[in-house]
Amino acid sequence: MDFKWNDNQPIYRQLRDRVVAMILDCVLKEGDPLPSVRNVAAEYRVNPLTVLKAYQQLVDEELVETRRGRGMFINAGARALLLQGERERFLEEEWPRISATIQRLGLRAEELLDAAYSKTAKQNSPKKER
Amino acid sequence: MKTRRFMLPFALLLFTTAALAQSAAQKSFEQLKSLAGSWEGTLDGHPLNVSLRVTSMGNTLMHEMRGAGPDDPITMFHLDGDRLILTHYCDAGNQPRMAATISPDGKTIVFDFLEATNLLSSQAGHMQRVTFNFIDADHHTEKWEFAMASGQQMGGLLDLKRSK
Repeated sequence: MDFKWNDNQPIYRQLRDRVVAMILDCVLKEGDPLPSVRNVAAEYRVNPLTVLKAYQQLVDEELVETRRGRGMFINAGARALLLQGERERFLEEEWPRISATIQRLGLRAEELLDAAYSKTAKQNSPKKER
Repeated sequence: MKTRRFMLPFALLLFTTAALAQSAAQKSFEQLKSLAGSWEGTLDGHPLNVSLRVTSMGNTLMHEMRGAGPDDPITMFHLDGDRLILTHYCDAGNQPRMAATISPDGKTIVFDFLEATNLLSSQAGHMQRVTFNFIDADHHTEKWEFAMASGQQMGGLLDLKRSK
């Protein structure tokens, strides 16, 4: 697989972020094994040490546990832990900027909710076949 | 006079110890340089090659891992007085320096973290320890250990056989 890496971030961080996204999207569920270092290194064409670093980062964040002789597994509660972290990060880092824009534009809460509901409704409505 | 007589053997002992320490580092550096060439091996079952080259008039040994991607690191070995030092140019963007400790039988060299350049506080960890184990002229192992912010370490063992 040819994977485009972002030159501004170490590859092990990008691999870590990829696993995190897979946990948040429930592609990897709690208790699931992580793909083997060998397979990931081969699939993404990276040094196996880089994969080990990414996995160690996940262990460090208590999202993954090592079971001796069996490999690495997603910890129970990993998704909740990630969601909590991501929510806090959103509120601390992204929300102030968004909030400032809302105030600058004078948008009211009802308008924002209407916009959100109509977008959700559009996404959920069945597509018409041509 | 008596003091001088007392001090002389002590000074000689210090000088001899320093000379021995230096020769141990020099000897280990020569042993590392004997690895110059191409090596094939595996890390956790994944093929990984290593190339070692003596350069800079024999004063430096360059170690290059060769996987398949853009993240293959380079490591340089050299002497610093009575110490054998390595600098690892990590794909994470930092450059840890490590100093060697040599086992009494000379078959194992362990490099431990001293300091690093470009190690940003936002970075989670760095390469902490590298262990070379000499099995014979055509076979050696390298253990590369990465330390995280929590202090936890994870290592990958490279088992290498000479290909050239």
